[in-house]
Amino acid sequence: MSPEQILAEIREANLSYLMLAQSLIRTDREQALYRLGVSEETAALIGTLTPAQMMKIAGGSTLLCRFRMDDDIVWNLLTSHGKGAANDGLSRLHASILLAGRHSEAA
Amino acid sequence: MARNKSILTEAKQIERAVTLINLGARLQVLESETDLSYERLLRLYKEVAGKSPSKGQLPFSTDWFMTWQPNIHSSLFLNIHEYLNKSAALDEIDNVIKAYQLYTEQISTYGLEPLLSVTRAWRLVKFVDNGMLTMTACSKCGGHYVTHPHEIARHFICGLCNPPARAGKGKLAGSLQLSRRDCDQTHTDHAAPTAH
Repeated sequence: MSPEQILAEIREANLSYLMLAQSLIRTDREQALYRLGVSEETAALIGTLTPAQMMKIAGGSTLLCRFRMDDDIVWNLLTSHGKGAANDGLSRLHASILLAGRHSEAA
Repeated sequence: MARNKSILTEAKQIERAVTLINLGARLQVLESETDLSYERLLRLYKEVAGKSPSKGQLPFSTDWFMTWQPNIHSSLFLNIHEYLNKSAALDEIDNVIKAYQLYTEQISTYGLEPLLSVTRAWRLVKFVDNGMLTMTACSKCGGHYVTHPHEIARHFICGLCNPPARAGKGKLAGSLQLSRRDCDQTHTDHAAPTAH
């Protein structure tokens, strides 16, 4: 990927993220907090962004959203589903319980 | 002025009641969470659901939440509920409604049936408020699970880290299936019968 391409892709991803986040927040604020994993202040900020502001923010060289599964347990649960199809639902369920609990500590 | 306000409140309560009925709540939940009269709720119920509400008592035991599969479902719901509770200022019943919607949505993406009804979810939150049930962190994975109060946290291992011998054997559609072979690989200390 050329540098120009990288910047264009990042911009695209940022823009999609911001637009999705904004429509989630406008549809149901509280549920959006859970889905996005952001604080109420951040949600209020994203909710009021104008399209022009969005374009400006999206056009940086870094991504705006951050990876949420930054620990081994959750990561292993989510990636090991190939080894036993029967346990797939179970490990994903396990991972979502862990994630839901984790975020409540962070918020 | 007071009159205006009461109509607004009533409109809000009717809206809540309709949402709850659509989620499958029993009449007792509506009676407890709104100030609408029994007769009006009954009429509303028939109008929204197109049938009479089921009769009989609500399930009142905390034991159901302790069995393997219901415990997993309840824990997921309660974790979401706690999340919303901490991050947003909502009326208690709205919190239950929103958390329940997120729970059913998440469960259906895994191809499972929502085992926890909204009535049970509401009941669960009441049990936790009364201190009859609580959440304890698993000593293995660190997740929070519904347990009886005074569970010894240092020794507590959740049903997902250590499934009981008969867990996941049910053939009911939409229920959790567990293949024992995989389970034994991850929990070698677990002496479960492997007969299929």
